[in-house]
Amino acid sequence: MPSAIRPATPTTGITKLTNCRLVRGDSLVNGDIWVSSRTGKIVQSQRAFYDELIVPDETIDLGGRIVSPGLIDCQLNGAFGFNFSTLLDDTTQYGKKVKEVNKLMVQTGVTSYLPTVTSQTSELYHAVLPYLGPSGQQRLSADGAEVLGAHVEGPFLSPTKNGIHKVDVLVEAHSFGDLEAMYGQENITPGSDKPMPIKMITAAPERGAMTSLIPEITRRGIIYSIGHSEATFEEASAAVSQGATMITHLFNAMRPLHHRNPGVFGVLGKAESHEQPYFGVISDGIHLHPTTVKIAWNAHPEGFILVTDAMHLVGLPDGAYQWRNGEDIDHIVKKGSVLLLEGSDKIAGSSITLIECVNNFLNWSGTSIPQALKAVTATPAAMLGIQDTKGTLEAGADADLVIFSEERTESGLKLVVDEVWKFGARVH
Amino acid sequence: MRLIIRDDSDAASAYVANYIVDRIKHFAPTPAHPFVLGLPTGSSPLGVYRKLVEKYKAGEVSFENVITFNMDEYIGIPRDHPESYHSFMWKNFFSHVNIHPRNVNILNGNAPNLEAECVEYEAKIKRVGGIDLFLAGIGEDGHIAFNEPGSSLASRTRVKTLAYDTILANSRFFGHDLEKVPKMALTVGVQTVLEAREVVVIILGARKALALQRCIEQGVNHMWTLSSLQLHPHPMIVCDEDATLELQVKTVKYFKSIEKVALAQGFEQILPSKIRTGPAPETVIQAPREVEEAQSPTIVAPQPTTSRLLKASTPAAEYPVRSVSPDADLVPDRMASRIPDPSLTQRLTPGPEQSGHRVGAVGA
Repeated sequence: MPSAIRPATPTTGITKLTNCRLVRGDSLVNGDIWVSSRTGKIVQSQRAFYDELIVPDETIDLGGRIVSPGLIDCQLNGAFGFNFSTLLDDTTQYGKKVKEVNKLMVQTGVTSYLPTVTSQTSELYHAVLPYLGPSGQQRLSADGAEVLGAHVEGPFLSPTKNGIHKVDVLVEAHSFGDLEAMYGQENITPGSDKPMPIKMITAAPERGAMTSLIPEITRRGIIYSIGHSEATFEEASAAVSQGATMITHLFNAMRPLHHRNPGVFGVLGKAESHEQPYFGVISDGIHLHPTTVKIAWNAHPEGFILVTDAMHLVGLPDGAYQWRNGEDIDHIVKKGSVLLLEGSDKIAGSSITLIECVNNFLNWSGTSIPQALKAVTATPAAMLGIQDTKGTLEAGADADLVIFSEERTESGLKLVVDEVWKFGARVH
Repeated sequence: MRLIIRDDSDAASAYVANYIVDRIKHFAPTPAHPFVLGLPTGSSPLGVYRKLVEKYKAGEVSFENVITFNMDEYIGIPRDHPESYHSFMWKNFFSHVNIHPRNVNILNGNAPNLEAECVEYEAKIKRVGGIDLFLAGIGEDGHIAFNEPGSSLASRTRVKTLAYDTILANSRFFGHDLEKVPKMALTVGVQTVLEAREVVVIILGARKALALQRCIEQGVNHMWTLSSLQLHPHPMIVCDEDATLELQVKTVKYFKSIEKVALAQGFEQILPSKIRTGPAPETVIQAPREVEEAQSPTIVAPQPTTSRLLKASTPAAEYPVRSVSPDADLVPDRMASRIPDPSLTQRLTPGPEQSGHRVGAVGA
């Protein structure tokens, strides 16, 4: 008896998003995307259909909205009232706090990030870094945003480009042992059973023997980023040739571009001797002039990464807030979205979300939506060496997605986070 | 033969898509009674697929109980190669509708035993009860599936070597590198197509005009394999105006007038109702024999020549072509069988010693 086979009822965990505009490279492509909540990955749909005879459990019509890879923030000091550079009396509470932040963070569209610890004493690094290692091994969408590893911004920084970092805690490294002692050997050594907590180190290459230590840092799978530095163009170039692949908040806390010595910015100029590094840019409208952001983008669009450098005060009301800085307790004054160190005019990080950075950049630069999103997806993923699993909608990558709708406002185009998917399941 | 002419390719594609949707709806397929659809690849059916997808998304049709068989597939390129027909079908049709992968059949060009793959494919078609509607496109040389000029009109699913011209033409899809172009393909045969209960062909554009002319206005010829459609009981060709460029004005006007008159009479050129609803198991044709025979002319109406090409057991021959056809038992159709002289039933062409009888045979 001939018979058509009815879709067997066992569920596959696969959701098909249809009628999407998918961010693929520099363009938006109409199409569908299949994600699996079982594997947490984007599914090669044709193969699933022909090989595994799979049909999706559910099809969701997005009505032409934009589907982007989940956003990646490479520099986030804290959020939702919790500062990652905090020493709690009960350190087990620290891990709990990070988990809370992750669950809230994912709602902003950031599906993975590098929690950033500013210049602190060795004691604090030892205490907190074990809680800031990569968190995605379990691949649980309910965990929210995924920590990709810690970004330690300091303390091997230039005392004259300290920003709001406490000068007292800034030190020089003369051997790799100095780094191990500072951060804790197990936090900077790969292998063993747990993934290494540190993913990125911001340090001034001209201080101590730092430039010569870069190869050992990168050999361990850690990104070396030039930042808070007095480096000349020559010193910055030397760092790049030693393996520096990133610049921390370009223009901020470094020598300005001078026509006779372009400083750190100069390494973005095309040179045959080295690769142009990636660079972070804070497009909150306070740290940098919009035109400066545009110049940076034009200098090296493939390296352009938007970061928030946000403090834990995002979303809190105006006022003075306690902030642990080295061994002291300082106060940060929040007035609107401007954060200043109390009693100074120094900018104390930002209180902007990553999608707001993208929207600013979109309107300042007039670039296309996929190009702007690239600065918070594919480019940071490439910088971190995880371009096969993050920052892409290719099959096999992690199914971390943000669904955007577009709003036309007076100030221009605005992307609004409608939905967030983590590891193949909707979390917001 | 039904020839439907529309002003442009869009209208022609829409006609075919509507027709298929209507057929599926009338058929009312169920898991036990699926609609079996034969499908082509290439540029001609693209518009049809697009419109079928639109209709699916608008909720006008479901493919849940539709079984599909594709015409052909290359040999020796990965199944998921962007130019494979698996990829074509996935991209243009299957990924957009609710068809179940278990109901999708495409020849496997990477099968370890290609011959066995072909035999099994034919068997699979038989197992599901034959193809209800075979949609097809044609090449400029009038080929249907990969049955290029000179293919046997009695051919079945098999391995085909591609013509050098075809390989050259295809090289544009493979980075203009002849080395990368598949040289062989698996394809259903002409006979496989003709065995479907209905064949619908979409022909678009001036480049196909000569092929259409050969297939409509000239005889059955293996150099234009589509012309074999003339032997099918229920063929339909849908084309745009450009494709009629080589046809006689008379031909075009004739087919247009038929459609017009039929419409004026309140019906489209529809199929016998049994074909529209498919071979439901309970519908065994039980003609009241005595009565029928009494009313029939003494000389039995000739069956179409298809019945010679198509065995009585094939789906295409399941139903009488004319509503008054008296009896399915008469399908074996040899001129000789109509002549009472028993000696003639032995040979169609009598030997010299029987030449006396041959005069009579010709007269019959």
